[in-house]
Amino acid sequence: MVTKTVKIVNSQGFHMRPAQVFVAEMMKFSSDVNLVCNGKTASAKSLMMIMANGMKCGMEVEIQADGADEEAALAKAAEIIESGFGED
Amino acid sequence: MLKGIAASEGIGIGKVVVIRQQDITFEQKTVANVHQEIDRLHAAVDQFMANTEKLAEEMEKSVNPKEAQIIRGHMAMLSDPFMVSQMDDMIKNDSICAEAAAQTVLDMFKAMFQGAEDELTQQRATDVEDIKTRLLKLLLGIKDADLKTLPAGTVLVVGDLTPSMTAELNRDNIAAIVTESGGMTSHSAILSRALEIPAVLSVLNATVTLKDSATVIVDGMSGTVINDPTVAQLEEYEKKQADYMAEKERLRAYIGKETLTADGIKKEVFCNIGNPKDGIKAKEKDGEGVGLFRTEFLFMDRESMPDEQEQYEAYKKVCDTLENKTVIIRTLDVGGDKEIPYMNLAKEENPFLGFRAVRYCLKNKEQYSLQLRALIRANADTTGNLWIMVPMIATVAEFKEVKALIEDLAAELEMPVPKVGTMVETPAAFIMADKLAKYCDFFSIGTNDLTQYIMVADRGNSQVAYLYNTYDPAVLRAIKQIIETGVNAGIPVGMCGEAAADPLLIPLLISFGMTEFSVSPTSVLKTRAEIARWSKAEADKVAQEVLALETADEAFACLESHVRG
Repeated sequence: MVTKTVKIVNSQGFHMRPAQVFVAEMMKFSSDVNLVCNGKTASAKSLMMIMANGMKCGMEVEIQADGADEEAALAKAAEIIESGFGED
Repeated sequence: MLKGIAASEGIGIGKVVVIRQQDITFEQKTVANVHQEIDRLHAAVDQFMANTEKLAEEMEKSVNPKEAQIIRGHMAMLSDPFMVSQMDDMIKNDSICAEAAAQTVLDMFKAMFQGAEDELTQQRATDVEDIKTRLLKLLLGIKDADLKTLPAGTVLVVGDLTPSMTAELNRDNIAAIVTESGGMTSHSAILSRALEIPAVLSVLNATVTLKDSATVIVDGMSGTVINDPTVAQLEEYEKKQADYMAEKERLRAYIGKETLTADGIKKEVFCNIGNPKDGIKAKEKDGEGVGLFRTEFLFMDRESMPDEQEQYEAYKKVCDTLENKTVIIRTLDVGGDKEIPYMNLAKEENPFLGFRAVRYCLKNKEQYSLQLRALIRANADTTGNLWIMVPMIATVAEFKEVKALIEDLAAELEMPVPKVGTMVETPAAFIMADKLAKYCDFFSIGTNDLTQYIMVADRGNSQVAYLYNTYDPAVLRAIKQIIETGVNAGIPVGMCGEAAADPLLIPLLISFGMTEFSVSPTSVLKTRAEIARWSKAEADKVAQEVLALETADEAFACLESHVRG
């Protein structure tokens, strides 16, 4: 398993639209990917769990990836979050 | 007469059609063939997706793409593989029916959302409930009430208006909407405003009290529903409705337009708001920013001070709502007529001349710093268009002290210093405006306090209320001087009292060179239309005449003859 901690920078955090974009990207990987934030763990492939976790701007999230393509999945997840989901 | 929340403007007169909540209770069954049951669940989910896609497409045409996104979101939520696979597992392991599995899993997610800390996430619980109802209906084979064929002039009365119902409405046939639940920011409210259908929400027992085919009047401005109106009431409201429609038509031309004088000088119409939710109104009513966000609401009606994080979230919410527009937030204006019990302010003989606003804040710096830190952080975490406005400044020293405090806090936070300006509402500030302008990034004139302090008249005291008059030449001259001083110093000058929306004063404000008019959200278009009537030269002519007069009555009569004559 590989992990990386990143900070949420977009103002909306993981709300509907950014979360949808994120989940769609994560679905492309076979590895299990989890987001740990606020002491709660959410699967990066579950829109509902991600939204329910209420991850907001300024919070730190630990990304955990485990599986055949874990390095690539981790890199992609970190890139999307750190780039602010392409929001302004 | 029934009362509710005035959620969407306009007046609707029509006949009631009550849509009753359909019964979606079911008996939990044990199933023999779990694979067949899972197939049945998947078929219902597929049907849900197909129906919702169709609804979203219709909505894109009839409402607008943004609203369609709400129900596209429902598809994304139900597509979550964890959701359906959990339902599958429950059916497989416990041999329960698809209805029970769907209900259990969706209720679990609903509870998760309800338990979230922020309001936006909590609101998603309503979406989960809507998904659950529609999925259960599909599984149980319950047909939705047909909203497409409602006759013209229908007043739709319903427990809650779901996004899926709204998508089916033929807006031309719906005179008004009345619901039993929902507030200003609920889907029902946002959707009825988008459809421009008058709506009164959260009317207690509406589906019981209002009877099918009864005539009702729905007043979306005051939030009232008149059941079985008299002939006189009908006439009165038909007239109100006609006036409203005519005014709306007249102002339609100004929606989404820049605010320009007749000779093309750029002005801005901002909004005054009292809580973060009003930010939505400011945006919907086409405000070009927020000129006054009163923060007292955060501090009132509670037992103790809001902490920094709570304040930060409220300020950030308004900035997020207004996207990249300017949001001017006024720091706490306690004292005067605003009492906050837990702050333990002593009763004063002359509260308006006493320990209020910035005077209190600078004596309670720790507490003030919480608010300033929250503002600095909210500015840094959004587009950097949050401006801090300090009320009741009387001396240059006070303003410099506040500014130094903000600069220190920003340095500590390693964040940019927001723009900081002052309300000009004390005679001392107006007299010293040229010096204040050196330190201020902007001025905003608070006409209510300025008028009472210039005239030294309490408008609540009937003996002297006649003196409280914004048309008094003394007040008009003060306004002129403040604006011109700011303009000469090269800083923007706005006005955030009701006077900014007064058609009689608008030519004067244009003549003096004021750039930003901050008004209540419902006055934005009216104010923009008034500004468009005047060129600088014509406004100057009016101003010259008015400023030569001696009394408030003369000034008023002169302005009336120019503006309405």
